[in-house]
Amino acid sequence: MRRVEVLKPVLVSNKQRAQENRKKFDSMNSLVINIIASPGAGKTSFIYRVVEHFKRNYRVLIIEGDIRGQVDSECLLKLKVDVIQINTLTECHLDAFMIAQVLPKIKKKYDLVLVENVGNLVCPAEFEIGEDFKLAILSTPEGDDKPLKYPLLFHLSKVVVINKCDLLPYVDFNLKKAKAGFKKENPKIRIFDVSAKTGKGFEKVYRFLERELKVKKKGFKR
Amino acid sequence: MHEYSVTKSLVDLCNQEAEKNKFAKIYKINLKIGKFTGFSPDSINFYFGYLKPNTKCSNAEIIFDEIPIRIKCKDCGKENIIDEPILMCPNCGKTDIEIISGREFFVESIEGE
Repeated sequence: MRRVEVLKPVLVSNKQRAQENRKKFDSMNSLVINIIASPGAGKTSFIYRVVEHFKRNYRVLIIEGDIRGQVDSECLLKLKVDVIQINTLTECHLDAFMIAQVLPKIKKKYDLVLVENVGNLVCPAEFEIGEDFKLAILSTPEGDDKPLKYPLLFHLSKVVVINKCDLLPYVDFNLKKAKAGFKKENPKIRIFDVSAKTGKGFEKVYRFLERELKVKKKGFKR
Repeated sequence: MHEYSVTKSLVDLCNQEAEKNKFAKIYKINLKIGKFTGFSPDSINFYFGYLKPNTKCSNAEIIFDEIPIRIKCKDCGKENIIDEPILMCPNCGKTDIEIISGREFFVESIEGE
């Protein structure tokens, strides 16, 4: 029997592919946001508000990842922006190859590409897709202990949005504790408290995204 | 459940390496796996059993070598190994830390003939 050294990362292919996707998005100065949250946290409602705000002045594309079906795409099509649906079938996350497969469908230059990942706080964190940054959403009924339970996602995210803050009087969710948990995993994380239902808190989100869009438009490369 | 695609990549990588090194069969895959990855050895083994038939890995087993989470505090400069992925310096309690190891996931070597 022989032994040979390999020393190669198993996921090198996904990382490489993500880098290639990123190059393509960078060449169009598209700001790509990978949106990750559990099922029902409000990813689609969040996207709905963001698109409604930005579609007047920016070209927006939504990439919808779901295990099956196109319920969210149909909802978002009402916004009259372009939507590409990816059905992952057995997979619980989007990966760089799935994004690469739909790249040829992108015929126009978009300023903002919002990618709605499969509802899951675990797996999507592991797979880069070529995004500028990850945006995590946590909704108040899920509990304020989630930063401690899903550290990787919050460690890797640039932004976390705490959604359904309109439910704070009715659920056991300690905003302070949740925020301390996020900061513990990631001291630089930007936190926004919002309600996608009422729209409260979104002005700050828009201002933040506006800045990110301007930086990207100038051709900023990471 | 994301271990399916990960294990598929692992089998592909090992088959390529076996080809390159003129191995007919692989018997052992020495895998380094950081404790701060979301991959579970049990699930990888489960999918491996399903993916390995009719490949050069058909008689192989995976030897998992877990790499601990080692962090360095940017504030006090101390390095520590932590059991849980709670990114806080055990020395001074600050959270501005750098992960030195624990995110690895790579094939260290393969054994075969």
